[in-house]
Amino acid sequence: MPNSLLETSWWVPCYGLVGAALTLPWATGYVRRTGPRPAAYFNLLMTVVAFVHGFFLLQQTRSGATATLVWHWLQAPGLDLSFSLLINSVTTGAMELVTGLSILAQIFALGYLEKDWGMARFFALMGFFEAALSGIAISNSLLLSYGLLEMLTLSTYLLIGFWYAQPLVVKAARDAFLTKRVGDILLLMGVVAVGSFAGSYDFPDLYQWAEHANLPDGWGFLLGLALIAGPTGKCAQVPLHLWLDEAMEGPNPASIMRNSVVVAAGAYILIKLQPILVACPGANIALILIGAVTAISESLVSIAQIDIKRALSHSTSVYLGLVFIGVGTNWTDFALFVLLTHAIAKALLFMSIGSVIMTTNCQDLTELGGLGGRMPATSSAFVIGGLSLIGCLPLGAFWSFYRGIGYYWQTMPWLVGLILVVNVLTAVNLTRVFRLVFLGPAQPKTRRAPEVPWPLAVPMVTLSILNVLVPLILQRVQLLPETIDWTIVALLVLSGLVGILLGGFVTLKRSWTRPIKIPLRFVQDLLAYDFYIEALYRYTVIWAVRSLAQVSAWVDRHIVDRIVNTTGVVSLVGGELLKYTASGQSQAYLLLVFIGVAILGGAIAWLLL
Amino acid sequence: MPLLSFLLGVPLLGALALSLLPAESLGRTYRSLAAVVMAIALVVSLAIARLFDPGNAAPQLTEVIPWLEPLGLSYRLSVDGLSLPLLVLNNFLTLIALLATSVNLPRPRLYYPLVLLLNAGVSGAFLADNLLLFFLFYELELIPLYLLIAIWGGARRSYAATKFLIYTAISGVLLLAGFLGLVWLAHASSFDFDPQLSTLLPLSSQLVLLGLILVGFGIKIPLVPFHTWLPDAHVEASTPISVLLAGVLLKLGTYGLVRFGVQLFPQAWQVLAPGLATWAVVSVLYGSLMAIAQTDMKKMVAYSSIGHMGFVLLATATATPLSILAAIAQMMSHGLISALLFLLVGVVYEKTGSRNIEVLRGLLNPERGLPLVGSLMIVGVMASGGIPGMVGFVAEFLIFRSSFLTFPVQTLLCMVGTGLTAVYFLLLVNRVFFGRLPNELTDLPPVAWGDRLPSLLLATLILILGIVPNWLIHWSKTTVSLLTTAIATLPAP
Repeated sequence: MPNSLLETSWWVPCYGLVGAALTLPWATGYVRRTGPRPAAYFNLLMTVVAFVHGFFLLQQTRSGATATLVWHWLQAPGLDLSFSLLINSVTTGAMELVTGLSILAQIFALGYLEKDWGMARFFALMGFFEAALSGIAISNSLLLSYGLLEMLTLSTYLLIGFWYAQPLVVKAARDAFLTKRVGDILLLMGVVAVGSFAGSYDFPDLYQWAEHANLPDGWGFLLGLALIAGPTGKCAQVPLHLWLDEAMEGPNPASIMRNSVVVAAGAYILIKLQPILVACPGANIALILIGAVTAISESLVSIAQIDIKRALSHSTSVYLGLVFIGVGTNWTDFALFVLLTHAIAKALLFMSIGSVIMTTNCQDLTELGGLGGRMPATSSAFVIGGLSLIGCLPLGAFWSFYRGIGYYWQTMPWLVGLILVVNVLTAVNLTRVFRLVFLGPAQPKTRRAPEVPWPLAVPMVTLSILNVLVPLILQRVQLLPETIDWTIVALLVLSGLVGILLGGFVTLKRSWTRPIKIPLRFVQDLLAYDFYIEALYRYTVIWAVRSLAQVSAWVDRHIVDRIVNTTGVVSLVGGELLKYTASGQSQAYLLLVFIGVAILGGAIAWLLL
Repeated sequence: MPLLSFLLGVPLLGALALSLLPAESLGRTYRSLAAVVMAIALVVSLAIARLFDPGNAAPQLTEVIPWLEPLGLSYRLSVDGLSLPLLVLNNFLTLIALLATSVNLPRPRLYYPLVLLLNAGVSGAFLADNLLLFFLFYELELIPLYLLIAIWGGARRSYAATKFLIYTAISGVLLLAGFLGLVWLAHASSFDFDPQLSTLLPLSSQLVLLGLILVGFGIKIPLVPFHTWLPDAHVEASTPISVLLAGVLLKLGTYGLVRFGVQLFPQAWQVLAPGLATWAVVSVLYGSLMAIAQTDMKKMVAYSSIGHMGFVLLATATATPLSILAAIAQMMSHGLISALLFLLVGVVYEKTGSRNIEVLRGLLNPERGLPLVGSLMIVGVMASGGIPGMVGFVAEFLIFRSSFLTFPVQTLLCMVGTGLTAVYFLLLVNRVFFGRLPNELTDLPPVAWGDRLPSLLLATLILILGIVPNWLIHWSKTTVSLLTTAIATLPAP
């Protein structure tokens, strides 16, 4: 029994795929009589099965059992591409987190998409999503991870484009796909290069190779950048970060997954890549730079957003920026810790605002208000999620920040400052959002808002409880520090408090969407429009590709094709003219043929001899 | 039993039989009969695959009949790991093309025999083991294709068909010149395929002869700048003919590169390889950029073909066993994917009357649009863009992986081309299938299962081979090392 449990662990990701396949009759509109709900139930059932299977696996692996499964995917002369899976307590834990959150998000979706005609399609994509994610969790091969990452890119594209009749959604889906694709192609270049140099794709082999890697000048640096690029796109880091904000046009249950575990998938792979990046000079500096720039700039940007989902999605980039810093400083413990605590807290926040959006049909912060008393479960979920995200003793993120600060205190003090600034700014933003949504007088759109029905409430409350329990869980798996450094605790708690107070007392006027003072207005616009990076891209990269395409189209039509056509016309007209020289005398023909052969033969002889 | 000749005989006899049917027979009868003939041919080719020993690198099932001995022409057929997959692909795609043909097509009595003749010509070219015989089949395939474009094409069909004819005829002349030059200069007694032949010549003459052959096949593949016939031919050809053109006919060019370039001129090939890899980059990037600029869906897919065939050139230039295997995989993958894309564009055109991506909108609409066609289109473009899980990724990854160490810069640039694929196909899907269905497009005729079946078959195959790629390369694994032994034994330049 125990062995068979481990050997069948590859089923866990497959359950999601099976669920997705089972929804196809409904998703394609083949079965209409029952409505789309059976598809959702099938999918949910498969996810529960995956969760239960994973649960037993986790029990097994926690008692020390590990396994490696290998599947020879492609065998060619001189190349054996195999996919290997690593089953241990960390990977199964990650898989459980994914399937668990997936169950909650799917129950949430049952309520959220109750009246949506595309519900079956949504669940099909969620199954796909979940399969790819849990595959990444247990993958032990760079190639497999890359493949699954691409599957995520595809399903993200389709999920964002779920309501594809709306122009904004179409644009968001396109941008998400292309941005991630840029990262993925660069990553593929890295994957191809690493495979060629190291001769294997299994992470252990790659680690071994990286220890003695002797890359030619410059290649190491480029390789590092290429390997980083994929996670950069996936985790919405500067400069490939714009898609996540736009992705908020998609349905909210997918946003729950996206902001918690999907972005984390990229970071997870980055953590796996860390020992290889060590062999690439400059990669660590790039990681720290990307992470730091993202953490600060996106914290600021999130404060200027008036879309409730976007205000939170920018903060997702911030936390993943911290993960990047963690990997860049070779402190992957911190990175993993941030990933875990952020995922749980952010999922809850997104459930909470999902409930708000569902009830009020509005996601504009300036039109919300006074929901606190009307939606108690939702508002308490927001509070718990928010506190878990900032360094509030003893909830989740506190412990990850604690870990980070404790490590950087001696080595890189400026990173301590960065973490504290991030903490302050996040607290400001969350408090601001909380005030605008839950406090203050009721607005026209919130006046008759009831609390959400059970399919939304149950997962939300469950996750709230889970968030509160995070410290206990951490203690259970012995991840909490044994001795407490009270200076760090004081710093963290104080910075959180400062942020909350700042956010609590800054004036928020709903009637003015923009400040009246010009300098302030400039700053707000700058932040609200993401430092105008989108415009920058439009006038540089996009313009360049488009112009190149148009230039080559012009060249093709007016030069290449014209030369061809002229040649064609000349030969046709030549034929037309020559036909009058046909005299019918065979001697003349023979003479002509002879002359022709002589010229040709002479030419060839001259060329060859 | 001479299976290879039988394989050629089935479509030929079928063509003869179909043209003898009573004139008043229905289009449906013609189509069903032609499909039966093709199904038989497909079964025969699968039987050949079954008899084929993948462990044996040498050409197998050889059939020799002396023909015009004084001319050096003999009827020699054989099959190896390079030709077998393409043979199966040819028969499969011809069957698909027949199934995708409208039953109301005018002049079915001419159409179906021509398609079968085309199939026989292509199969013959893949099987031929004699340079002249290859040339004959190569030219034989040209005539039916010219007629198929010129008679059943769109508004500018005669322009497109003539362009195609002139181009391909030039390609044939260059090939013939190359073959004749090789045999005469080497003082060989016959045109039988012999890889040793070129070693008797000085390198300069090898280079000239290889140059002729390269341009000849470069027109067929097509490589930039010899490509301008392709978009015109595709736009004017009817859907099934486009499927055959992109799926099978272009493969004759890349097949030729491997067979008559790598295998026949190893020494010269090695000299030219860096240039060829660069040529591949130009072709890939140019084709992809052109595709971005198109507004006609069919032209877009046609230019994407140019880009994707450029990958084959890159792999062929590398000329290691793995890269040749990758080239074969890419030929198969491109055959399946481009066939699917052309079929779907054809369905959209038939139902909406337009292929313009600036006019079409919101076709994914589940009630009044073409949802299944849209979903399959997403599968097709994602496969073409190299998303893992589909056959396109397998082939492209193999190409990049095998060529990287030999031509790192060229390989990386070709990968940029893969990225561009995503750009133009996303434009297509976003404009045509996403968005709101405009009122002018709401009364679309229903899509029958007959229209969907060929695309469904192709999409399934694309997925299956993407997940189990060993089936794709099973037949070619050993042959590729024989194809490249001559190059491998050469001293490095």
